[in-house]
Amino acid sequence: MPKTSIRTKNLSKTYDNKTVVSNVSINLPYGGIFGVLGKNGAGKTTFLAMLMGLITPSEGEIFIFDKSLKLYKYEILKNINFQSPYVDLPKKITVMQNLIFYARLYDVKNTKKKIFELSEDLFIKDFLDNTYGTLSSGQKTRVNLCKALLNDPKLLLLDEPTASLDVSTSEFIRKYIRNFQKKNNSTILITSHNLEEIEKLCSHIILLEKGKIKFDGKKNELFKQNKSSSLKDIFLKDDK
Amino acid sequence: MINRILALLIRYKNISFGSFPRLLSIFYWPTVQILFWGYFTNFFMSNESFGIWSALNIILSAVVLWDVLFRGQLGLTMSFFEELWSRNLPNLFITPLKDIEMVYGLILISLLRTLIGITPAVFFANYFFDFHLFELGLYLIFLFLNLIIFGWSIGFIVSGLVLRYGQAFEELAWAIIFIILPFSCVYYPLDSLPNIVQDIALFLPTVHIFETMRLILIENKIVLHNVLIIIFLNLLYLILSILFFLRMIFVARKRGLLFNQGE
Repeated sequence: MPKTSIRTKNLSKTYDNKTVVSNVSINLPYGGIFGVLGKNGAGKTTFLAMLMGLITPSEGEIFIFDKSLKLYKYEILKNINFQSPYVDLPKKITVMQNLIFYARLYDVKNTKKKIFELSEDLFIKDFLDNTYGTLSSGQKTRVNLCKALLNDPKLLLLDEPTASLDVSTSEFIRKYIRNFQKKNNSTILITSHNLEEIEKLCSHIILLEKGKIKFDGKKNELFKQNKSSSLKDIFLKDDK
Repeated sequence: MINRILALLIRYKNISFGSFPRLLSIFYWPTVQILFWGYFTNFFMSNESFGIWSALNIILSAVVLWDVLFRGQLGLTMSFFEELWSRNLPNLFITPLKDIEMVYGLILISLLRTLIGITPAVFFANYFFDFHLFELGLYLIFLFLNLIIFGWSIGFIVSGLVLRYGQAFEELAWAIIFIILPFSCVYYPLDSLPNIVQDIALFLPTVHIFETMRLILIENKIVLHNVLIIIFLNLLYLILSILFFLRMIFVARKRGLLFNQGE
């Protein structure tokens, strides 16, 4: 088992002289649920995208499972997956066709069996033959989560996994994520504006502010440092 | 009321004239139409000796082969655009899929779409107009392949531009083929064009392809020199266009564009 899941060294991203992520160095152990918090424009999504190789860093290095992302990109990507409400699947084809496509890209063995198992767990079995474009937001989120779990990722990146979902669907997703992590001992990195969600799911928090790390450590330490008992209080205090 | 109509007018003006490709497509079409029909009419007026069926055969062959180029290019760009429109690029690019594998996939789907699109047209033309595209014999395969390859080259350039500069360039996917139509000498020979335009047109493989088609249909002969030029130009453009497309993916990663594409 690798020692670390994610390690970044002086990671920065600059667009036309505007720095979005600045000198971020983190060292996350293997296994667990970690939260990345920050206000709009803090650099959360850019940070996540760099970890997946979607955005090339301007400076710094990324190591996933102790291996350089630059040198072992395709080997690493086999074990990573991602879900975001801002990223969709093709709307004109069925859910099943979409899932089979991604299962092929990840070289998933026993594709249909895997899809049926996940679709049963995520309650999407009834609309596997529906076109993706006809699904509700809640259904789409569950399908996207199914896509993100097809390769049993060792590192799962979730960008606002419950954005615009109703209370019961959000709770279902959170439970599912927690169980998945326990069952597979995988590493899950979540960005969310839902502070309660991060509080419930994550033991370790990375706080970004204007692209820089403001805090990186255990949730309890953050509370202690800020003399607060909730993330909401910390954020509100910060606004004042 | 006037204010609301004015608001609509400004809004549509901004959409229509807001980008260079859109602007180009607005003023280019009338010019293309006039040039094309002008050269076309000139050629057939000066070749009255052609029987109507021979002329029809040449025109239909040209129509079908031109469509190969159009379908080839469109098959590639539309398949790539589907990923953009459905905001699916991040999902795609975080898989172990290599950029070059995407190139192969796009080429194959374009080939499939073109074959499906063209086959019924050929059979209908054969049935209704006694049209014999197959008179071109094995050369038909050569012409077909080279037209579709040039279609891929254009497709990769357009896809790369859209990835890098955004959806304003989507207009090019429909327009670019017709931009090169008058200079491609599809329905008339190269010498119908003014001398200065001829010099530029010679850089288009389509010119040599359609000249070859006419030579086979009218004189039943083929010029090796033309064949070699077609192969050379096509390979050169295909390699350059693929390199351009791959470079645009690299730039998109650098500028964070893969995350922000979509409808």
